[in-house]
Amino acid sequence: MTVSDKRNRAAAKLMADVHAITAKEGITPSALHALKLKLVALAAKAELFPLADFAMPVAEGRNHPLLVEDNDGHGLYLTISLPGKEAAPHDHGIWCINAAVSGRECHKFFRRTDSLARPGYATVEQVGEVMVEPGGGMAMADHDIHSTVVVGDAPAIGLALYGYALVRFPSVSWYVPQFNSVRSTPSRRHAAMA
Amino acid sequence: MARTPKSHRLTIANTQQTIDCAANQTVLEAALAAGIDFPFACATGNCGTCTCHLDAGKVTLLPRGDASLSPQQIKAGQTLACRARPRSDLTVTWLSRAER
Repeated sequence: MTVSDKRNRAAAKLMADVHAITAKEGITPSALHALKLKLVALAAKAELFPLADFAMPVAEGRNHPLLVEDNDGHGLYLTISLPGKEAAPHDHGIWCINAAVSGRECHKFFRRTDSLARPGYATVEQVGEVMVEPGGGMAMADHDIHSTVVVGDAPAIGLALYGYALVRFPSVSWYVPQFNSVRSTPSRRHAAMA
Repeated sequence: MARTPKSHRLTIANTQQTIDCAANQTVLEAALAAGIDFPFACATGNCGTCTCHLDAGKVTLLPRGDASLSPQQIKAGQTLACRARPRSDLTVTWLSRAER
């Protein structure tokens, strides 16, 4: 059996475990924690994810689909982000789990603090922080807000599991503290589901 | 005494305004600071909302995601206002989704 075959089999096993957990208890904090432990265990099998099998980013960040379910199911990806790659605080409207294969990515969590009265205006404050590094991961619920930045000199290579495939993502709301702004990108769901 | 960063002239063709843009400032930061309603969302090189055409000048790009700006777009003279720092005087035109 090739590494690719083993990886595909492991991804399928993970997805079966994910469905078993969520079928039993839905998307609850404890279910998300259980999913994180499953994804961390898969990411620990670094031999399944040799860099030779995955192209590096042309710029600084790239996602490689590992298993994208049909029928509006989940999406599992291998992500490669180079040092300095960042994402401002954002809410992607769907739950997400990350686990590190190698490298370090700092995730900060935020809550919105303004009254939501002014369109385009938002303030957020940090409420948590997790370093996603080998042996660890993070889980977030549908409307949690997080930011990411790759720290250190090495690429951050990890696994990302989303409730929806990236091509079927809902609208993403971006909060930029520097500008006290909130802006949303268009949902991909209608186009992808048409 | 701290040295003031070198500054360049930045023209936003859509609004026909010319403003200063420091060498350590992005095109988006300079535009918003000048009160120009430049389209953006993530401001960190992920979403592509601030994609613009670099009509004149040279920029340095900060880290970004591959999906936000393709090599074909760069070849066509496009850049990301949120990631582009000036290396010379610039003229940019922000693009609609259909124009990217």
